[in-house]
Amino acid sequence: MDGLEGLRNDRSSRRADPNDRRAYGFLLLAVLLLFWEVSSRAGWIVSAYWPPVSHIFAAAIAQLAGGEILLSLASTLRRAAIGYVAASVAGIVLGIVLARNRALRYALLPLIEIVRPMPTPAVIPPLILLLGVDDALKIFIVAMASFFPIFSNTFAGVATIDDTLIQTARTFRTPTVRLLARVVFPATMPAIAAGLRTATSLCLVVAVLSEMIAGSSGIGYYLVETQYAMRPDLMYAAVLYLAATGYALNRIFLALEARLVPWMGRS
Amino acid sequence: MRRAFVWLGLAMLGLAALPTAPAAADLEKVRVSIIPIGDVAPLFAAVQNGYFREVGLEIDTTPSAGGAAGIPGLVGGSFDIAYGNVVSALLAAQQGLDVKVIAAGTNVTDPKLDATGIFAKSDSGIKSGKDLEGKSIAVNTRNNVIWLYARAWVKATGGDPERVTFKEVPFPQMEDAVRQQRVDAAFMVPPFSIVAAQKGGLGKVGMPYSDVQPGVDVGQYVTTGKLLATKPDTAKKFVAALRKGVEWYNANLTNEALLTLISGYTKADVALLKLAPVPTAPSRTDISQVRKTMELMIESKLLPAPLDLDKIVDPLAR
Repeated sequence: MDGLEGLRNDRSSRRADPNDRRAYGFLLLAVLLLFWEVSSRAGWIVSAYWPPVSHIFAAAIAQLAGGEILLSLASTLRRAAIGYVAASVAGIVLGIVLARNRALRYALLPLIEIVRPMPTPAVIPPLILLLGVDDALKIFIVAMASFFPIFSNTFAGVATIDDTLIQTARTFRTPTVRLLARVVFPATMPAIAAGLRTATSLCLVVAVLSEMIAGSSGIGYYLVETQYAMRPDLMYAAVLYLAATGYALNRIFLALEARLVPWMGRS
Repeated sequence: MRRAFVWLGLAMLGLAALPTAPAAADLEKVRVSIIPIGDVAPLFAAVQNGYFREVGLEIDTTPSAGGAAGIPGLVGGSFDIAYGNVVSALLAAQQGLDVKVIAAGTNVTDPKLDATGIFAKSDSGIKSGKDLEGKSIAVNTRNNVIWLYARAWVKATGGDPERVTFKEVPFPQMEDAVRQQRVDAAFMVPPFSIVAAQKGGLGKVGMPYSDVQPGVDVGQYVTTGKLLATKPDTAKKFVAALRKGVEWYNANLTNEALLTLISGYTKADVALLKLAPVPTAPSRTDISQVRKTMELMIESKLLPAPLDLDKIVDPLAR
């Protein structure tokens, strides 16, 4: 038993290629899709809204050629992105400030906790009166939903900072703002990153949802439109694009996280 | 593989930065909230043929997926005019909202052209409202025109609507719901009713609109009293151009050009649209029909008391 044992174990497990394990996931997907195709063609499930998977893929390729799906996706992403940025700024700032300032915490935290459990579809009708039915409404809804995971994670992250860091900074008589910016913020970044990652997938889902309820453009509206036009192949193809987008965004985020917060995972 | 996804994602983010379309100038812009169904074909026909442009209006249609956006959006100021059903308009008026009917939208006058209906499984033995007591009917949402006339039909065919359960199912899912016995019957509208009839296994047992109230005024264009007071000319021009659209529509019921028009804004296949008879569109709102609907609403406890229809239905519409 020497200190190098951990390293040796690491090396041997690294020989098993991580890509192999991910292949199992794709294999499972392929099997399920095959099952879907067979169930549709063999007539196990009879419904206008259960087309064979091959039709869906054909529709997906045709949509790309038509270009409309990309415009819808772009419009959804734009709204999701603006809401996300707004929520990030608000969530991080409030998370840090409320965790460090007791007076503000007592004042604002109850309000935040009351608004948190409100479901998005319930909140949309009264917001239509205040914000109209255009982008302002949808961006607000996205921001509102994305705010909570970012805020909670930041808040918890600040509260659990190793006190040694703060005390060390205090021994140098660091002023408050510098303390927040140069000590608290970097130490909280792993927690903030976790909150931001949750919010990444959430903002896309909520943007689509708001378009389904009160939209006139974007993927959410496209989904409802194709449903009513009795074109389930187009609808499922749009869902595929949405899933691919969500997956890609998540991977981008992980890549960014590895570059910008390399101290993640180590306390 | 991982790299590919990262690049794909970045490309999509790049798409998000695309600028939105610029607005047109010169013509007066009128924002109209519509539901993308056959009912608003006359409006689109009028836009396509330039009738609105001729009178100096530019129509900006905003489709709404559900009814949630229409009247609240109108009252909130997002729209100038909204297309909606008669029940929603009367409910809004009763709640004190400043809603006025300015043009007719849809009515059901000829039973032969009425493609809506109550559908049930052919082997279920359901033939009348009486058979549906203790069973369920699917409607797209409660407290709207579909729900009201489904209840009225149940009553007219010998049943007690209080003993029938009304379940909310969106139109596209109604056929599946009936086939899988999640509901016993459904009040369907075209094109869903057409497709259901085509596939076999389901039979039409009744036509609530035609059976209960032939000539019923189902949908109208509504606006706010504020718009009528501040921009009366805009309202007049809108109605005049719309009426020309209705005339064109009625003259082209069997013309492929009309079906192509409808297919354009609904995304439905032209082949699918060909299966349904195209009903005529009204030029004027028949206030006596609206009164009958109001009475049905009072009977179903949707309205507590009669409303002054002369105040709600603007002279422009009649």
